Amino acid sequence: MSLQARQISKAYGVQRVLDKLTLTVDAGEVVCLLGPNGAGKTTLIRTLSGLQKPDSGELYWAAQGESFDAPLLRRSIGLILHQPFLYEHLTAFENLRFYSLLYESGQSEAELRVLLGRVGLGNARPIPVRGYSRGMKQRLTIARALLCDPQVLLFDEPYTGLDQQGCGMLNQLVLEENSRGKLILLTTHELSFIRQIATRFDILHRGKIADSIPNAGISLDSLQEHYNSVVSAGAKRQKEQA
Amino acid sequence: MSSKNKLLALLSVLAFLLVLFAFIRMLFFTPVEQTMGLVQKVFYFHMSAAWVGMLAFLAAAVFGLLYLSRKDLKWDTLTAASVEVGLLFTVICIISGMIWARPIWNTWWTWDPRLTTVTIMAFTYIAFILLRRGVDNPTRRARFSAVYAVIGFISVPLTFFSARLLRTIHPVVFGGGEADMNLNAQMLTTLFISLGAFTVLYAALLLHRARLMAQQEELNQKLAADDGSYDWGE
Amino acid sequence: MRAWLHSVRVLVWKDLLQEWRSRDILTSMLAFAVLSLFIFNYALELSPLNRAEIAPGIVWVVMVFAGTLGLNRSFTAEQDQGCFEGLIMAVPDLSAIYFAKLLTNLLMMVFLAVLVIPIYSVLYNQSLFNWAFFGVLALGAWGYSAAGTLIASMTVQTRMRDLLLPVLLFPLLLPVNMAVVKSCGVLLGSVAGQDINSWLNLLLVYDVIVTMLSIMVFEYVIKE
Repeated sequence: MSLQARQISKAYGVQRVLDKLTLTVDAGEVVCLLGPNGAGKTTLIRTLSGLQKPDSGELYWAAQGESFDAPLLRRSIGLILHQPFLYEHLTAFENLRFYSLLYESGQSEAELRVLLGRVGLGNARPIPVRGYSRGMKQRLTIARALLCDPQVLLFDEPYTGLDQQGCGMLNQLVLEENSRGKLILLTTHELSFIRQIATRFDILHRGKIADSIPNAGISLDSLQEHYNSVVSAGAKRQKEQA
Repeated sequence: MSSKNKLLALLSVLAFLLVLFAFIRMLFFTPVEQTMGLVQKVFYFHMSAAWVGMLAFLAAAVFGLLYLSRKDLKWDTLTAASVEVGLLFTVICIISGMIWARPIWNTWWTWDPRLTTVTIMAFTYIAFILLRRGVDNPTRRARFSAVYAVIGFISVPLTFFSARLLRTIHPVVFGGGEADMNLNAQMLTTLFISLGAFTVLYAALLLHRARLMAQQEELNQKLAADDGSYDWGE
Repeated sequence: MRAWLHSVRVLVWKDLLQEWRSRDILTSMLAFAVLSLFIFNYALELSPLNRAEIAPGIVWVVMVFAGTLGLNRSFTAEQDQGCFEGLIMAVPDLSAIYFAKLLTNLLMMVFLAVLVIPIYSVLYNQSLFNWAFFGVLALGAWGYSAAGTLIASMTVQTRMRDLLLPVLLFPLLLPVNMAVVKSCGVLLGSVAGQDINSWLNLLLVYDVIVTMLSIMVFEYVIKE
């Protein structure tokens, strides 16, 4: 099973954010998308999730043998974006139950509580989410994303707001899901944490995947160096063209 | 000049000539109406402006639907241009109506169904323009404009029927009665010429405004792209 | 269809639970309505004679203005916490989101009517306790909520937000305003009773048309 983006382009007016981008993520991979701010990482994740349609190009999900049509496959995608998708006046449990009912994923109360436990909210007080810290909200957001046991995980900056323990928890979760054969794509700036779990690093620059580095025990410094050189090479090329 | 611009220039000249022709005919070659006198001549342009106001609104709704199905921003530009031009004509209609009403019924305003409907239409137009100003993202702006144009247009007949129902229950209190005009064949011809001229004028103004809007939008985007710091709020 | 109704039910339950916990919307609507009724008394200097004629107008105007508070807030959670996108991912037919919001807003308006009627009756010493009167207000609230929900879902995504809602909504509401006020006038006996059927028909037509239209276009409002 694999997820493919073929020749995806997206422009906001004259600004071309994604430029005939091609990307493949296979089952069992944990792909980390790197890139400078404004490079289009969020746009790519949103396009892959079906929230946004690209101007041209196709999304292809090999398991179904047909084109990716988000409404049909809604339970198969676990999405995390910058905003938490949480209802402030409901408790953590109620938020999960709401989404579970909406997705018709048929989970029991006990199963939802187990999920809360997985993200470290098992013993959290049953107060409305309004009273949660940023880190706790992020944990709940992760739980929400994992609700339907989705095949595809698309996480945009999932480490945001998490403390050391939280980041460790997330890594643990990703490894667990990875071992169950899920497709995982994340974006982040936290190179130290992501290095522990990623199978591959793709660098998004100027609307394309400028480089793809497998994670064969690469050191943090050389990864940083590699990233810097790709980004500045691209910038230089841009200057020459202009 | 490109061929498109040449055609537009031609259309503009044609519109000008037709309106001039209608104006001259109305002033000098149309008999004066019996009951109302000279001021009745405002009617030809007043009615034509009303007609264009309605037409522009219908066109805006149609262009809006076309945008929603085709997702091409040029339809959105036409929607916005049509609303602006329509607003212009609607205001002309209201003011000319007031000029006409004053000497005849001794009042500036009547709660006549047509006037009520046309004024509500003007408010809807203005709301539309304010809506557009409140959205920076071009595709979101286009979607919202299309939706509002459609729902706004649907509300027009409903408003008209409500106002008319009100009128049948409450007979004329303020003196804005049904226009009792005797129109002979000559006057009708003038009216039709006037309607035609205004329609051509609408088309010319629409295309001019659309062209200007498209250029402005292109410029804005180029400036934004250069800057690089513009957040489209996706 | 079953799935659609299920989505609607879950969404409405969530909104009611949110409102119950915070009680933001209902309390502010109620406070606004009661204060407005007070102000109208001084502004209009009503004698017992013309009170009967003006009652429906006052009650409905108060509901229209208080209603905008509810409409504005009904989408705030979705907008500020990004929940629109969470819902788009989870709900198969996006029109269910619209319909659920319509029902929630309608319930708020009805609740408002239930409170305003006795309060008005007490303050103005004129009984408005009349099932038919209440029914017409409910029909009007439906039309109001149908248009209001669609417009609010747009204005909450603009820069001006709350400020823009009345400007966009009120021109569309004229038929509802007229129909409600005139029908209520007939029911209270202050207006001679012809043609209430015409008004009610008009109101019903408006309600149905606007609801159907909004259901069809709603996905364009919340989704790219």
